[in-house]
Amino acid sequence: MKRRRRGEVPEPGCLRAWAAESEALAGRWRAARCWGPGGAAAARQQRGAFGELLLRMRGLPAALTTLPLELTVLYNSLLFAMGASDCAINGEAEEIRQGLLRVLEACGASGQDLSTEELWQKVLQEVTVEELQAPLHRLGALQGAWWLATNRLGSITSLFRLLSNAEDPGRAPCSGGKNELLSLLKAWRVPAEGDSVSLVQSAKDLKEILCTAAAFLQGLQELEAGNLPAALSLLQEAAGGFCSKRVLAQIYTCLSCCTRQMGKPQTALQHLKRALQVDFQCLPALSHAAAVYHELGETDAELQALAVLYEALERNPPAAASTTPYCLIQTEHLVHTPALASLFRHRHPSEVKYLLAQRCLQDGRVADAVEHYLDFLALLQDGLQQQVPLDGGSALPRIPEVFLEAASALEQAGRHQDAITVCEEVVSRTADLIPQTLRVEEGPEQLECPSPGTELAGGPLSQKRESLCCLVWRTAAYLHQGWAWAKLGKKKEAITQFSRCLEDLLRVQLYRSGVEPTGSLLPEVKLLQEIRLLSLIGRGTQFLELGRHREALLDFQHGLQISPGDPAAASYLVQALWKLNRKQEAATRWQKLSESPAEEDGQQEGLGRCVARRYPLYLVSCLKQAAFPHNESLAGNIQDYLRTTTS
Amino acid sequence: MAHVGHRVDYLAGFCCPVGGLVSGKPRVLCHENEIYLSNGSEFVYVYDQEGKVLKAVYKCPDQVWHMELLPLPKQLYILCAHSGIYCVSLDQQSRLMEQTDGDGQESNCPSGVFPVDSDACIFPDSTLCTFTLLNNFVITLSQAQGKWWMKLHELPHPEQESPPYRQISEVGFCPGPEPGDEGDGPPSRFLPVLCCASSPGTVGSGEGLWCSGGFVLEEPLFSLLFGIDAAMLESPMILCGFPDGQLCSVPLKALSSSQTADGCHDVSSQDPPVKILHHLEEPIVFIGALRTERRAAEEEEAEDEQLFGDAGCDCVVAVGHYGKMVAVKADQREEATVPELREYYLRGPILCAACGSGSRMYYSTHSDISAVDLDWVNESSDPEDAESSTGVLPPVLSPASLSICSVVALSLSSRASEGESELLALSAKGRLMTCGLCSPEEAPPARMTPAEAGRRIKELLSGIGNASERVSFLKKAVDQKNRALASLNQVMNVSAALLSSQEGQKPIACTVTANWSCLLLQDAVTISCVLENCSEYSLEEGWTLCVQLLASPCALEEDSADSGTTFTFPIDQLLPGNKRELTLPLGSPADTKLDLPLTISCALYYSLRDILGSGSDSSEALDDFLPDDSPILSPDREGICLPLSECTIDMLQCLRFESSPPGPDASPPAAAPPAPPDPVETFLEVSREQTEPEGVKDSEPPQAPGDGNLPPSAASIRVSSELLKNALKNSSSGVPLSCATLRWLLAENAGAEALSSGEVASVRGAAPDGGEVQLLVREVAMNDLSPAGPIQAVEILMESPSLADMCRMHHAVIRRIQALVLEQAAQGSGPPDLRMQYLRQIQANHEMLLKEAQSLRDRPPPGEEGAATAEKLLHIYRQLRNPSLVVL
Repeated sequence: MKRRRRGEVPEPGCLRAWAAESEALAGRWRAARCWGPGGAAAARQQRGAFGELLLRMRGLPAALTTLPLELTVLYNSLLFAMGASDCAINGEAEEIRQGLLRVLEACGASGQDLSTEELWQKVLQEVTVEELQAPLHRLGALQGAWWLATNRLGSITSLFRLLSNAEDPGRAPCSGGKNELLSLLKAWRVPAEGDSVSLVQSAKDLKEILCTAAAFLQGLQELEAGNLPAALSLLQEAAGGFCSKRVLAQIYTCLSCCTRQMGKPQTALQHLKRALQVDFQCLPALSHAAAVYHELGETDAELQALAVLYEALERNPPAAASTTPYCLIQTEHLVHTPALASLFRHRHPSEVKYLLAQRCLQDGRVADAVEHYLDFLALLQDGLQQQVPLDGGSALPRIPEVFLEAASALEQAGRHQDAITVCEEVVSRTADLIPQTLRVEEGPEQLECPSPGTELAGGPLSQKRESLCCLVWRTAAYLHQGWAWAKLGKKKEAITQFSRCLEDLLRVQLYRSGVEPTGSLLPEVKLLQEIRLLSLIGRGTQFLELGRHREALLDFQHGLQISPGDPAAASYLVQALWKLNRKQEAATRWQKLSESPAEEDGQQEGLGRCVARRYPLYLVSCLKQAAFPHNESLAGNIQDYLRTTTS
Repeated sequence: MAHVGHRVDYLAGFCCPVGGLVSGKPRVLCHENEIYLSNGSEFVYVYDQEGKVLKAVYKCPDQVWHMELLPLPKQLYILCAHSGIYCVSLDQQSRLMEQTDGDGQESNCPSGVFPVDSDACIFPDSTLCTFTLLNNFVITLSQAQGKWWMKLHELPHPEQESPPYRQISEVGFCPGPEPGDEGDGPPSRFLPVLCCASSPGTVGSGEGLWCSGGFVLEEPLFSLLFGIDAAMLESPMILCGFPDGQLCSVPLKALSSSQTADGCHDVSSQDPPVKILHHLEEPIVFIGALRTERRAAEEEEAEDEQLFGDAGCDCVVAVGHYGKMVAVKADQREEATVPELREYYLRGPILCAACGSGSRMYYSTHSDISAVDLDWVNESSDPEDAESSTGVLPPVLSPASLSICSVVALSLSSRASEGESELLALSAKGRLMTCGLCSPEEAPPARMTPAEAGRRIKELLSGIGNASERVSFLKKAVDQKNRALASLNQVMNVSAALLSSQEGQKPIACTVTANWSCLLLQDAVTISCVLENCSEYSLEEGWTLCVQLLASPCALEEDSADSGTTFTFPIDQLLPGNKRELTLPLGSPADTKLDLPLTISCALYYSLRDILGSGSDSSEALDDFLPDDSPILSPDREGICLPLSECTIDMLQCLRFESSPPGPDASPPAAAPPAPPDPVETFLEVSREQTEPEGVKDSEPPQAPGDGNLPPSAASIRVSSELLKNALKNSSSGVPLSCATLRWLLAENAGAEALSSGEVASVRGAAPDGGEVQLLVREVAMNDLSPAGPIQAVEILMESPSLADMCRMHHAVIRRIQALVLEQAAQGSGPPDLRMQYLRQIQANHEMLLKEAQSLRDRPPPGEEGAATAEKLLHIYRQLRNPSLVVL
């Protein structure tokens, strides 16, 4: 009230009344904060009250005497506004802008057409009124928070450069190895909180939050860009900062991702453990832990992690985290990046259930796998509460594949009838989706369509691809049924299913467009060839068992035409020849077969690995079943024969 | 094609805005015997079809955009504009109503309007655009941050009271380019349309499946449309029709927000959950499904009925606002089952549509409801023919009319009691009606019983009535438009003609003259306006001639300056070349005082409000029609105003001479020409005459000067003869200058024609208020003025017993001389040599007189002296009016 430069000065009584009201509001908030619950409602109420007060103050032309109070009220009201919403809203930026314009107005300047960045520059450089410095700096911190929340790191850096310069123009801004924004933030001297007006959240808190958020955000960006050491140091910096447990757990999870990518899975596990210690609700940490265990090959631990994750998800579905009532602005308000969203993608129980089932099946824990698969199928029937994500980021494959995997697990567990039923579902569902003839051009270039989704209007190519997929699933289902019937001893039914499989496979017509030889086939087409081979072998074995050796021989010969070097088909062929009493032929074949032992060894030892690479999980059991079981006895027989003939 | 048998019953009328209801937001739902209706306002009505009474009215906080009913528990979900979804429990409300009914006697009418308060808001979200219900799930579609957001919420079970509306999942997507060009909020007046398609498997599991407008889609169409994953998940699908024309499908069981990138994906790399099925390229107003193959299903009923229960639909349709329609059906005839997609073009704009259980779709346009049948049996066994028309959908649709016009909301209900389906329709005028629909099989009964025939006749009659109502409605509308166009055309022609000839002679002119005439046995001054149409266009009905009388600001009483009177004369028709004369009285002596001079302005006015109809939006229509700054738009912006002319009527024009024009022998002064009497003598004589009565009535208060009881006031003006000669040289040939001058002065007076015959230098006439006025013109020589010798001048002498009349006369003469001087000055004749000293002397005298007058006026002496002062003042004014100056 000493300086009267410009603008009409409201009565001191008015100013005093406003100050008192602001004080009362802040006091009420402090009281409400102690009670704990109902914070959100209180915050909404406070926000309204501060906003109203601000409106009243803005009813008069800006005056230097009232501006400190006005800016403080603005600061308080914005804190509530930003704390109340999950993400930054444009309205707040506009509010800050308005505040700055009011400051300029009081000083007799204008800046309507300046950008917010330029406005700050103008205000900080031109307004030198002592009383305004502290409120302006506090508002600057809020602006910084807003810019962080909108990922505008450049703007916040230049703002804080201004803020520190304005405070201490003599000292050069510290730059160099360390991150500039972080050092600027740290160097920023928090304006002393005078006795003038109470703040609902102190500028010191805000500074701490800004530091943590800036480190976290930049760490995430570096992680995304692949600058792992930089990411690591930034994230470590963030982990040392001031934030809620939830965010701390997130930071640790990010640290684990970083170290895992650096090839230190054990350290990654340590970080994840810490994340869970800090916040056991941080379920993404669990799924990351499962992934790390998977990498390490510790299946037990992996399955355990997944099981715990599933249980946690089942028990309390992830709800919106309750915000702690102490801070209005928190780090979680300020860090929004797609990277974070994808790292902390919340898994649905169905996904976790499937992962459990899949891992069990892959690891050969058939009984557990069956349980999990059946649980998963039951989950599908549960209604809309159980969401089954099918989008790109989901852990789930296509649904028919899940069914086939379940069938595979059931079959391996000896529940052949159940397996047949599950396969029947796939068969019936695909019935209408496969055309009678599918002309497929050799060479995958034309059909290169990464999206597995089908679109009605998506053109014939993706539709053809989808039809191919359906054909794969349908024939695989027949294949499973054939083997299941075979296991049940019903050879005729088995032969029927294998025949259906082969019949359906005839729908595909490959034609060559150019002169280029085969080799660049669509993965689906390759898979179909494998299925045909397995199906032929399957039918052959059944013919053999029925004593229809000639038909068996034909099937095995066809199989070998498809895959000339296939050891199972070759072995069966030898056996069929043997049974047909064409022993000389059998012996020659056998000799040829045993001349390539490497392949045999490969098949023996690395079945799982090779299968994992080439075959989908649901075909692995069929592959195992197609393996020639009587290697030793046949070898003995032939060797005996050879000995007798040569001698 | 086929006539669809129908019977229309009007149920009730609901209030509607002036322009009628707009399609899109109104909604009619039917459950059991109750009809739930929202008409786009903030009210929701519950109508009992059985008792034909309005059961309840709910008032929502804002405009109702959408409404869905959940039958169990009976709840109404209402989406209000910009606020969110409100839930109203109808069971509770009916209980409440029974209570109030018990209190009050009237049981027929609802006991009031139930306000829906903010507590009932279960999803407060201002960005919500639409929603739908599926059992106990709410699916909402909102628009925020440049994306569409579909959210799935679970409603609380009836037994648990606390309402945690748990959001299960959400997915954000943006089909096509920028959904929110106009910022957040629905981009246009069209809202997206949601519809739920269930797979056949879900019917058996959920017995009480409820989804209004939803349907069960049969295999293989379900798998073909939505993919094998959705089919195996048996996931209900939400079909969304967007205002930009895209038709998308979203699997409800796989709603997932995989925010790999926060920007919009383009369609090609879109994540699988949201699939674009088709692009209609116009706002989608309806999505539905039909059962087209009735016979096929009947043939294999044995298995099918058991498998699927009620047969699902086998054809999905989506209808766009401008009449484009797409139908999708599985084509199973070929070796490959493919979805056949066919586009049809109906006559738009389509306001709403509805599908029943059969193969017919009903759609409403402004003029009719039509039914199209998508059942198509390719009867032709001719292979060539079959070749040409491959497909399972009809190649063309033939709409059958139901003859009900401008229906904005449709819904198909089947009343269990009657077993036939009927169409519920809400017309743009807010009328709710039902239209019974007979399926074609039962339409023509083989032999009608008399009762049936009676019913049929009744139906036909009601149909005829409906049709004639429609015809007259349409005809009226067309006629009105034609008339409006014709009127506008002629208005434009006339305006153009008048405005283009701004400079020269206007093709439509209005001349004003003042006359004396006898009205109601009293003589009075009248003004006659002659409107002459010299243009090539006729002035048609609708034009109005406005004559505005405005007392000039220089009139005697200054406070009356702004009192203008406007007379309007409607013009029925004025053909080219025709004239119309209109007369209006100015006032008679007995009447109120006439304030001369009067400014009279004439203008033509055309009210556009009449031709644009009396609708509330006509002023907006006018805004479109004419730009804001259009010069011809009248100030109230409701019509076109074309100014014609403006003129001034003064004393000289209103003077009335004795019935016989002032002849040479009529009055002594008139006989002057041969030997004009000494004007000074005359003047003195008159003065003396007038002074006598003044002296007699001395006791009267002198505050009323100029009322005839004073000596005749006089004034004179001298104009140099040379000036007058120059100005009047055309008309003054052969007559003395004084006579010519008098003629010139009275040229505009219709009663003074006689002057032109004789050589008259003085006239005596009556002012409009009856006072006598004398005008005398004579030639004088001014000796003292010029050193070069005497200047010949004409002196115009005016006198009247009434000071006011004299002043008006003075004003009128000066006005003419002013004009004359200006005219002459323009011709550039220089004044003769003048004796400046003398002029200065005269001017000084006058200034002194003025000063004296002012001082007297400013300080009126009190009491007895007042009369003397007034006398003195009058004297000074008299002196001032007789300057010894001459106009050169």
